Amino acid sequence: MKKTHVLGLVFIAASIAALLTLMDDISTYDSVESARRKEGKFVHLIAKLDTTKPVIYDPLKDPNYLSFIAVDSLGSSTEVVYRNAKPTDFEKSQRVVMKGSMKGEVFECKEIILKCPSKYTDEKVAKL
Amino acid sequence: MIKYNGEHLLIGQIGMFLTLLAFIAALVAAFANFKAANANELEEKPWRKLARISFLTNAVSVIGLFVVLYLIIYNHYFEYKYAHSHSKRSLDMQYLLSCFWEGQEGSFMLWAFWNAILGAVLIKWSRKWEYPVMSVMSILQLFLASFLLGIYFFDIRIGTNPFVLMRNEFPDAPIFQDADYLTKYLTDGNGLNILLQNYWMVIHPPVLFLGFASAAVPYAFAVAGLWKRDHAGWVRAAMPWALFSAGILGLGIMMGGAWAYESLTFGGYWAWDPVENASMVPWLLLVAGIHTMLIFQSTGHSLKSSYLFISLGYLLVLYSTFLTRTGVLGDTSVHSFTGEGNSLYWHLLLMQFVFIALPLVLYWRDRKNVPVVVKEESMNSREFWMFVGSLLLLISAVYIIVLTSLPFINKLIGTSWAIGDEVEYVYNRIMVLVTIVLALLTAMTQYFKYKDTTRKYLWSKLLVPTIISAVIGALASIFGDINYDKFGLGYLVAIHIALWASIYTVVANAFYLGSVLKWKMKAAGSSITHFGFGLMLVGILISASKKELISQNLTGILVKGLRDNKGKEDNPLENMTLIYNTPIPMGKYMVTYLGDSAEPKNNKVYFKINFIETDTVTNEVKDQFMITPNAFMIKSETGSNLSSNPGAKHYLTNDVFVYITSWMSPENAKKDTSEFKYTRVNQGDTVFYSNGYVLVEDLVRANKNDNKDLPLVDSAWLSKLNVVSSQGVGFKSTPGYFVQKGFGFSKADTVMEQSLVLNLEKRGKDEVYLGVKESPSVMRYITLKAFRFPLINLLWLGTIIMVIGFMISMYYRLKSKLYAI
Repeated sequence: MKKTHVLGLVFIAASIAALLTLMDDISTYDSVESARRKEGKFVHLIAKLDTTKPVIYDPLKDPNYLSFIAVDSLGSSTEVVYRNAKPTDFEKSQRVVMKGSMKGEVFECKEIILKCPSKYTDEKVAKL
Repeated sequence: MIKYNGEHLLIGQIGMFLTLLAFIAALVAAFANFKAANANELEEKPWRKLARISFLTNAVSVIGLFVVLYLIIYNHYFEYKYAHSHSKRSLDMQYLLSCFWEGQEGSFMLWAFWNAILGAVLIKWSRKWEYPVMSVMSILQLFLASFLLGIYFFDIRIGTNPFVLMRNEFPDAPIFQDADYLTKYLTDGNGLNILLQNYWMVIHPPVLFLGFASAAVPYAFAVAGLWKRDHAGWVRAAMPWALFSAGILGLGIMMGGAWAYESLTFGGYWAWDPVENASMVPWLLLVAGIHTMLIFQSTGHSLKSSYLFISLGYLLVLYSTFLTRTGVLGDTSVHSFTGEGNSLYWHLLLMQFVFIALPLVLYWRDRKNVPVVVKEESMNSREFWMFVGSLLLLISAVYIIVLTSLPFINKLIGTSWAIGDEVEYVYNRIMVLVTIVLALLTAMTQYFKYKDTTRKYLWSKLLVPTIISAVIGALASIFGDINYDKFGLGYLVAIHIALWASIYTVVANAFYLGSVLKWKMKAAGSSITHFGFGLMLVGILISASKKELISQNLTGILVKGLRDNKGKEDNPLENMTLIYNTPIPMGKYMVTYLGDSAEPKNNKVYFKINFIETDTVTNEVKDQFMITPNAFMIKSETGSNLSSNPGAKHYLTNDVFVYITSWMSPENAKKDTSEFKYTRVNQGDTVFYSNGYVLVEDLVRANKNDNKDLPLVDSAWLSKLNVVSSQGVGFKSTPGYFVQKGFGFSKADTVMEQSLVLNLEKRGKDEVYLGVKESPSVMRYITLKAFRFPLINLLWLGTIIMVIGFMISMYYRLKSKLYAI
């Protein structure tokens, strides 16, 4: 066997090892119910902000405390706590992807990604 | 039919015509170049004429398209959807170009524009390679033009045209019943996404797209080499282009990083975001390809790898476009490209298929004749180690693109995987290992000679730089205060080794310039490039591992109850609230919010944040500066929202970086002129204010020894107040006074319902004063995050040097007779 072949094999083995280490870090997209079932496990929760309930954020009292109710597409809801500032356009978001885990009744969220309606939506024109 | 007033239809019709012309001309050019490439000398001439004329027609049309679309945006013709969606009247002149590339059509147009320019250059200079290379470039132009067509083929819309009218896109909207809709309703556009209102956003897309576009040229030469069965010739001809492309693409990526650093609020130049990854992976492969091409030119080895890397590099440009433009990334990217639906998805898949099939089929056709060197490379040869490096680049590219593609993989096989808790760490822990090996290779490989090197020669040259970098590395490890242990000791050790290896790269390449090349510029390109690359690595390692959160909030928890484990030393929270004119300690600074000034035209607000660093012993002011981050106020039905732009204080050796995460709503931003009134209090005392009284129910002194729940301060006065309004309603409030490292500071509390701010202050020995401030409006405050990035300038400097190195290499190859095409 040529050295380059040996080298190739070593590299392939190394990259498989690298990808295998990933298995521990792979989480999943979940609904509120399935996140509840996996209490404590890190998941990506896809849901919507429940705009009928209050969003609690008072930077004067604690700039690192945001709490709100999220509802997923199946209709289940949970209280979410996010220990950071309230993201821009939070109330306008159509969907939120929250990374974190259920702690008892509350979803402790580490990161929020907002999906805002594109401001180029057609509704605006249609409404005019 | 309504006759509409005030529309400018002619310019759109010109645009539509130019789109079609560009498409047809590209089709003709592809065909004519194909015929010319396969023609004998007699038949060649007429095809050549047709091929050149049609490609240049395409080029002129594309430039024309560019001008037309720019005029539509510049003149605010809001009857066109593109202008209406992406610009508005109040936008500053310089950002009109950003409008251009905010939309998908504009981006494709920009890409086609660079392709046209590159094609014209190739016609002039590629001589015998002209026809096969231009065939590929023309097919590419054909695809790019088809993305702009927007015509229906049965029920499927092919491409999206940038010249569509609002009234044709939304025919049912009632406003189009009115002949004067333009003067009555569509008087202004939707404007540009404020994140893009940044000067980096004006200049970085053109550079990045030139990088993407120019990566097609080495690909086209590789295809041409297979097609014309000239397996050696294409490498020589493609080399300057590959160098050019790697330099420009690298520059474009880092300019994107600079944009992220200066205008995105996650506080960094790189977040392993899919859009960033997608631009870096082609670069990695291109660089791998350059190295295997060099090996081939010097030894005849690695030809197949060169074909592979160069083809794969360009395919990944297309795949990246596919990932980022079709919405398959969905929820994982913070960059907001909207999905353009199914039509673009299949369109781009088809394009990728064609560009995969081209080299594959041609390679298969001539697979027997592709030269292979049977003799093995020696371990003492330069080519061996260059090949190892190229393989490593390939592996890291695969790792990054597989992770980035997870959402697409989910879509294909129906899973729901995502990268878990620590996205950046998942990338970084592999990349830090890659960095160690890559940096060592980059430092040492040049000292090897092609074919074989004697140990004695190697050590005589390598000894001095090795010792010097070992010393510098050791000093950096000992005095550099690099102790990023969030992910354990192993990772920290890896960072230190990587830093040492990167320093080795810098030192060894600098020495190589002097001791081996004797400062001859002609061959210096690679060493300069590697020197710059090493500086980049050093900058990345230091700024990332020593990034420091200045706005560590260790006291914000007081109100939420002392038993909360968040906000302790190992888990500081990131936001700090600053009350107008009230200094708060942050890191080594006292920070004060001194006010704000509005720029009504753009709904932009500038905040004045003052930083003072005083000497802890002498109390003298050591440093004082103002940072003015700004933010756009976006008004909507749900109230005002803030979109923040960071502000920074740049020093040579570090940047202090601040951005606003929250601000009181500006409707209430009347001038707050009221002052605190202080009264000395003891437990049980009562203090009156205009609408009631404050009862001091509890006042205790605590320190960290007797109160383990105390936040991370040395000692404190804690209070429990009952605020009773004249209506008899009671409110709880808990202001405090903290001492930390000899500094005392107040933690104010508010009773919003009574517009009260309550404050504790210690004066003298154990005399506690309660401050009561009654605001006529609500209090003025901001919430911010602040970071420090040390030595980030090394990264920028390294980038510039690396790009210069690429350009020097390219220049001397173009000049050298060896490379004359």
